[in-house]
Amino acid sequence: MDIEAALEEIGSAPNLERLQSLKVQYLGKNGRVTQAMKTLGQLPPEERKEKGRVLNEWKRALEEALAVREAQLKEQALQARLEQEALDVSLPGYAFPSGGLHITSLILLELVNIFRRMGFSVVEGPEVESEFFNFDALNMPEWHPARDMQDTFWVDFDRAAEEAFTIQGPFGEEVNGLGGAVLRTHTSGMQIRYMIQHTPPFRIVVPGRVFRYEQTDASHEAMFHQLEGLVVGPSITMADLKGAISELARGLFGKEGKARFQPTFFPFVEPGVQFAMWWPERQKWLELGGAGMVHPYLFKAVDDYRERQGLPRAYQGMTGWAFGMGVERLALLRYGIPDIRYFYQNRLSFLRQFRG
Amino acid sequence: MKIVYSWLKEFLPDAPSSERLEELLAGLGLETESITRLAPPPSGVVFGRVLQVEPLEGKEVRRLVVDIGQEVQVISGAPNAKAGMGVALALPGTLLPDGSELRVRTIAGLESYGMALSPKELGVGDYAGGLLEFAPEALPPGTPLAEAWGPDEVIEVEITPNRPDWLSVYGVARDLAALGLSLVRPSPKPQTTPLPLPFGVWIEDPEGCDRFTLSYARGVRVGPSPLWVQRRLYAAGMRPISNVVDATNYAMLELGNPMHAYDAAFIREGLVVRRAQKGEKLVTLDGQERTLDERDLLIAVKDGPQTRPAGLAGVMGGLEDEIRETTSAVALEVAHFDPVRVRRTARRLGLKTEASYRFERGVDKDGQLLAADRFMELLQAWGGPGVQVAQDRLDLNHTRPHPPIAFRPAYTSRLVGLEYPEATQAEVLRRLGCTVEPTDQAGVWAVTPPSHRVDLNIEEDLVEEVARVVGYEQIPTTLPSFFPHPDNLGVEAPYEANERLKQVMAGLGFQEVLNYSWSSPEECALMRAPAPTVFMQNPQTPERTALRTALYPGLLRNLQTALAQGEEGPFLLFEVGKVFRQVESLHLAALLCGDPVPGLWQKGLGGGFFALKGLLEAAARNLGSRVRVEKETVPYLHPGISGAVWWNEQKVGQIGALHPAIAALLELPQVFLFELTLPLSKGSGGFVDIARYPASMRDLAVVVPDATPYAEVERLIRAGAGEHLEKLELFDVYRGKPLEQGQKSLAFHLTFRHPERTLTDPETDGFMQNIIAALEQKGFAIRR
Repeated sequence: MDIEAALEEIGSAPNLERLQSLKVQYLGKNGRVTQAMKTLGQLPPEERKEKGRVLNEWKRALEEALAVREAQLKEQALQARLEQEALDVSLPGYAFPSGGLHITSLILLELVNIFRRMGFSVVEGPEVESEFFNFDALNMPEWHPARDMQDTFWVDFDRAAEEAFTIQGPFGEEVNGLGGAVLRTHTSGMQIRYMIQHTPPFRIVVPGRVFRYEQTDASHEAMFHQLEGLVVGPSITMADLKGAISELARGLFGKEGKARFQPTFFPFVEPGVQFAMWWPERQKWLELGGAGMVHPYLFKAVDDYRERQGLPRAYQGMTGWAFGMGVERLALLRYGIPDIRYFYQNRLSFLRQFRG
Repeated sequence: MKIVYSWLKEFLPDAPSSERLEELLAGLGLETESITRLAPPPSGVVFGRVLQVEPLEGKEVRRLVVDIGQEVQVISGAPNAKAGMGVALALPGTLLPDGSELRVRTIAGLESYGMALSPKELGVGDYAGGLLEFAPEALPPGTPLAEAWGPDEVIEVEITPNRPDWLSVYGVARDLAALGLSLVRPSPKPQTTPLPLPFGVWIEDPEGCDRFTLSYARGVRVGPSPLWVQRRLYAAGMRPISNVVDATNYAMLELGNPMHAYDAAFIREGLVVRRAQKGEKLVTLDGQERTLDERDLLIAVKDGPQTRPAGLAGVMGGLEDEIRETTSAVALEVAHFDPVRVRRTARRLGLKTEASYRFERGVDKDGQLLAADRFMELLQAWGGPGVQVAQDRLDLNHTRPHPPIAFRPAYTSRLVGLEYPEATQAEVLRRLGCTVEPTDQAGVWAVTPPSHRVDLNIEEDLVEEVARVVGYEQIPTTLPSFFPHPDNLGVEAPYEANERLKQVMAGLGFQEVLNYSWSSPEECALMRAPAPTVFMQNPQTPERTALRTALYPGLLRNLQTALAQGEEGPFLLFEVGKVFRQVESLHLAALLCGDPVPGLWQKGLGGGFFALKGLLEAAARNLGSRVRVEKETVPYLHPGISGAVWWNEQKVGQIGALHPAIAALLELPQVFLFELTLPLSKGSGGFVDIARYPASMRDLAVVVPDATPYAEVERLIRAGAGEHLEKLELFDVYRGKPLEQGQKSLAFHLTFRHPERTLTDPETDGFMQNIIAALEQKGFAIRR
């Protein structure tokens, strides 16, 4: 047996199968080295010893060569597999859909979260509202010029119909009889509803859709969103209002944000405030909404309603503040959107730009 | 309201620049909409006196001879051109406000040397129906008009409805004076003559009218007002008519009290203030015949036992008694009417006038005589040399003085959150015209507001006055600190659950849209949605006559638009919004069109009904809830691909493929939809300890008729398996050989696990036996 040739053959075995058969050929049960070992017993002791030594050496050399070659071949196979499995990772991935919230929802979420950090609860009210909650209880009686400030969509129900629509009051009671019905012109009606249902102190914000009978153009929409805030307690001040609006400004615009108040009129607050927020990035004031101290008329209207429902009066001696702001307006200013009508045309090329 | 700067300055000699005024006004609560600089008329526009007006035969235009220091020929079509009037004449070469240069033109075969201008052509007003008309002696002929009409400014401010006292030049000046500017108070002093008053006044409806004054002047020559007056009226947005009418408007704009001048020759025995009779008619100044009802308040002329309507109180006068060129005696009404009645009438007739606008907000009940004096003073100045003003006048006054307001200065500090010294508060209130008196009670003042402040009625109103005049910028910033009433704590807010649902939908790849709340019966019918129950009384468009009863129609319209605009698919849209049926309720609707994971250079997911259902199931898992679908026919869905959605074993809505008939109408490809009613119940979400013992797996294939729903097979398996079936996975649905026609094979992986020990093979085999028995009992074969 030519050990050199055998080692050479093992060293150049082209694959693991061939290597395996070489292993069998030399070291298998009937392999040449194994066979030669078996014949050792027939040899004379002297020769046997010498031949045994040589055979053992061969065996070890072969085993080593086999192991080395096996490792080499495995490595080669791994390399081949890695090469074969390689991908062009620069190819695009599966086109999983990427969804998102509407820009209005995103802004509302941001606003609501700022108030949550200040301990406010979030509540919602109905979009179809009775004249009582939308106007009368807010110190806007019929024939009051303040009603001119809000052009209104009035609605009818087919009251005779079996499945007629009903407006529900704060306790689920039917309130269709409380004057006419409107698409709410502001979220302020929820001030009344919430106060009737709850005992102060509390802090709430009310996001929601509102409607105005307006001809639409780049800056007017017949439907838009407001965020209303209401705080009532035994010693709530205008300074608290300014603090909360300042905190809102900081929440929106960073540490440099601040609030500015100017007097104005809303029938449901006294004193009344128009507020602006300082936008440090653009170095300008943004007029964003109205606010003020809850008008005592509202507390009285609420307590009267509570009394009719068999609840104790809860608002005597209380003070409070409320604010309302336009959500789209903030978005328009912040993103520099040229036309408010983009919001509810729902063009995907518009909506898909706002993520977060 | 438009405030002419030079006019305001008559009352505030120290008034700062208009820019600074804007800041001061904002601090007082008066928002400036615009500041407009009034340029003088272009050079080349001169004052001219019309000497002659000759008709040209067969032509609409006429030949005017105008004196501009020399006589020139002007051809004009203006209907009001008459000899003796003063006009604004633009000479050839003049650059008109519209940018064009005027040239000598040939009109009707004659050369026109210049153009006599209308207010619109000169850019001072909107009126284009006739020439600007001036008094013949207003200026020497040929004088450039710019000499009389120098530069000025107009500050347009937005008046909030609570502050009618701001609806005059003096009113705005008066409020600014509270900041410390010195104020010139109006003190008109007409020369009066003792004259008998030729009329009386009777108030038959004192609720509608609590004050009525009637003054008298005679010897008036009606003609155009002075040039500067016309300028101011135009700048304030009114059109000069004649010296008498202009004086009423001028005095109203200046002092805030609307007034009406009658030709005294027409008012017979005098005026009666009464309710109209139903159906009574009146032709108002604008030439319209108005039909009245019992709630309208009327000024009527008393003529023996009869009365004849002469004007709608506080809204508009009648045509019959208006001031004409021939008027020589004038009766002037300055009154106070019930704001609600005026508003109601103005509203009902769609007639908003300068007078009604002021009356419905509330005018000064004590300003009538001052305003009448101002009118008479102006009339004497503008109405010719012979004007005699009667010393006496009628004043029927049933007004009640404003009761004092109990005011606690400490309350100002408490409500605002800033300490205001008592002296400051008293000073501010006095500067605003209030009287401030102590009362028997310590810390309580009796504050009586001035008659022009109809908005000051309660203590909080006075708090605002103090805070406003001291300045809102002084208010500090604090935060409301209190512990909420215990009843308001620990209350679950549905808003948060819906917020989370929206986030989950967005996370799964859906784009949120927000559609209008409006719909129409036609749209609902087309979309096979429930018929509307809420209808608009004043719909804006035919598509917005009612409120929506479902959300999916809006999503389908969004898809239509997206496809028409070539937007990139696939389309996964959702909306959370209110729908209106018997009550208002919140819905979630979602739409899928196309493959949510489309194949591009590699194979896609495929899409279809199970893609949308899979997304709904993923949403449910995300929210710790279970969802299943049971076959149900839904009007707007494909009858073979539609079902009811059960969320945690509560039926909440529908899912399926859009009905092909609707898809065809809308020209849409295949669309899958679901719509659910919110709020969705919360998942149980309990904790089960992590499995410690190995699971035991089996496979099972059942052959069932094609029509058998999967859900039925699943129910049988679950019922048979008992409590240790941990997971049931459908891995194959097979039709074809060797199965018979109309059969399908459903193949499942089943995972069993016991929480406390390892299941033995015989145990698991036992479960399988039970399952197989349950299936076989229903006649289903097991494939082995």
